[in-house]
Amino acid sequence: MSLLSVRNLTTEFFSGGAWLEAVSDVSFDLRRGEILGLVGESGCGKSTVAYSVMRLLASNARISAGEVWLEDVNLTAADEDELQDLRGSRLAMIFQDPMTALDSLFTVGHQVIETLQEHLDLNVTEAQERALALLRQVGIPAAAERLNAYPYQFSGGMSQRIALAIAISCHPQVLIADEPTTALDVTIQAQILHLIRRLLVEEQGAGVLLITHDLGVVAQVCDRVAVMYAGKIVEFGDVGSIFSNPLHPYTQALLNSLPSQGIARGELESIQGRVPSLTDRPAGCCFHPRCSYALDLCRQESPHLRRTADGQEVACVLYD
Amino acid sequence: MVKRWLVSSMTNGAQPLLRARGLSKYFPLESGLLASLRGAKAAVKAVESVSLDVYAGQTLAIVGESGSGKSTLGRLLLRLLQPTTGQVLYKGANIFDMSRTELRAFRRQAQIILQDPYASLNPRMRIGAIIREPLDIYGEGSKTERNKRVDALLERVGLTSGQACAYPSELSGGQRQRVGIAAALALSPQIIIADEPTSSLDVSVQAQTLNLLSELQRDFNLTYVFITHDLGVVQHFSDRVAVMYLGKIVEEATTEELFAVPQHPYTQVLFSAIPAPDPSRRVDWELPQGEPPSPLDPPSGCHFHPRCPQVMAACSSIVPKLKATAPNRRVACLLYENGENEPPSTPSVFLHRVAAASYPNRKSNPG
Repeated sequence: MSLLSVRNLTTEFFSGGAWLEAVSDVSFDLRRGEILGLVGESGCGKSTVAYSVMRLLASNARISAGEVWLEDVNLTAADEDELQDLRGSRLAMIFQDPMTALDSLFTVGHQVIETLQEHLDLNVTEAQERALALLRQVGIPAAAERLNAYPYQFSGGMSQRIALAIAISCHPQVLIADEPTTALDVTIQAQILHLIRRLLVEEQGAGVLLITHDLGVVAQVCDRVAVMYAGKIVEFGDVGSIFSNPLHPYTQALLNSLPSQGIARGELESIQGRVPSLTDRPAGCCFHPRCSYALDLCRQESPHLRRTADGQEVACVLYD
Repeated sequence: MVKRWLVSSMTNGAQPLLRARGLSKYFPLESGLLASLRGAKAAVKAVESVSLDVYAGQTLAIVGESGSGKSTLGRLLLRLLQPTTGQVLYKGANIFDMSRTELRAFRRQAQIILQDPYASLNPRMRIGAIIREPLDIYGEGSKTERNKRVDALLERVGLTSGQACAYPSELSGGQRQRVGIAAALALSPQIIIADEPTSSLDVSVQAQTLNLLSELQRDFNLTYVFITHDLGVVQHFSDRVAVMYLGKIVEEATTEELFAVPQHPYTQVLFSAIPAPDPSRRVDWELPQGEPPSPLDPPSGCHFHPRCPQVMAACSSIVPKLKATAPNRRVACLLYENGENEPPSTPSVFLHRVAAASYPNRKSNPG
């Protein structure tokens, strides 16, 4: 049973007098108790998917087609009041920069308590106790004193822990994590990812949509993976299959360009050219100008995501 | 035996081009009249008594987390900062004693590539002018010759001479980093300090940039000091590695030996925290405990002892010295004080995890 269902989502940005598609016809399901990785390089639209789901798009962006369902709630049709109720309670988000979620003028205790009282029926004492427990859960040392500290008094890793404490405070069903550890050191990254898995996925059975460009992070924590390129999902499958048997030429090239997979000092495989910008997306398959297997057909036809015999999904004419 | 031979050939064959001796940099926390009246002595010890050798034609990687002092060290190696104590010897001459003329000659031979190609290129200058600037400053040839050299450099780094007229804002991140590389190459340097040169790039572009840096090293016999936190890049790119923690080198070894058996407990923790891009080798991530302490108030004794899984009673009082545990290998840890190769107390399960987290695909490099 899927928790979050994204159906044919298309999101556009208004720029230079025209609407440009940043996300084109994206569909996926997020299940209970799983971490679904949404990977791709900068500009592929992965964050736009997240903001579309949260309905936090900037004023120059719109969802032009498709639907997003959180169980029985149609998020794309919800009004601002309904969204306000859902965000923070059933649907939560953490960002690359934890300061996006924190207000520098209020103590962290105040901010955790505010979220708790907004969504749960708690009196001040109960909310304070729960806030203290949350800070301890996410590993803030000397949590009782730290409740009265301001965000600037915390390191980047500690701020992200507090953002996570706020995000999980009302037991969300879905957490959207947009590059949550990209700005952190690796030892801290490991701790935060571990917390997300233990506190949300294992203890509460929530679903996590993890947006990242780091294939190492994907391999270590995700259950399933969607690979995005130029606004589309080009491959979707179990993390094991994606890494051991990547089907789409883009996924293959991406994995081959990792230095750790290469032979020392030998040439790394790289993808020639660059990610196409929103204004000049190539016709047909967007990847064809950079693809070493490109056929004539690829220049004309935009391939759809199709399920292969072993359950992986790929959008490439080579597998049609 | 073969390995031993390989290691000695990798270092003894090459001469040190750049050596740091007892290099320290303290940044005072307060300055000015009030602070001096109060007698404030507090300082951040960004780099503390670092000694290392950079061999000609090789790549030395300096790895560490934020606040480890790796970038400060890189700047000291080029005299972009004055040290609190210590020396940097370039071909035997201390760069901090150099006269203006000598320093000018040194700066020609030693260049830097910075992490953020968005911040390090002047947005109001055209690409051609950015690359030509060092040539202009050093008065290399006539203006036509300099422009020709700019075209050649652009082509060498995979851009087109037509892009000389573009502004940095018109280029992608990867292209901007190529401009930074071209500018660093303009004066045909011998050594380049690269401070996180690929950290802000996507993996496919990172691969292009690393390939370019490799080719340039081969073609011009360049020496690199590669400052990075990405161990995949280190393993692919470097000959030797120095691991820094809170201003000090805690371990130094050939890349091969370091990745085969990381000896310092911090190196082990660091390696185990790197997410290996292989879902069949998942690592238990409860390992790294705590956060790096503030460099304002580093722990006593070994700076790593509050987070160390193998901490002993003596670690909080005794400052371990960097000691050789094998030829070309140094570790600063009390576990190795007797010069033994293996720590007696390392639980085998731990080493197993570390091995799982590191990258076994690296083929041996016969130099």
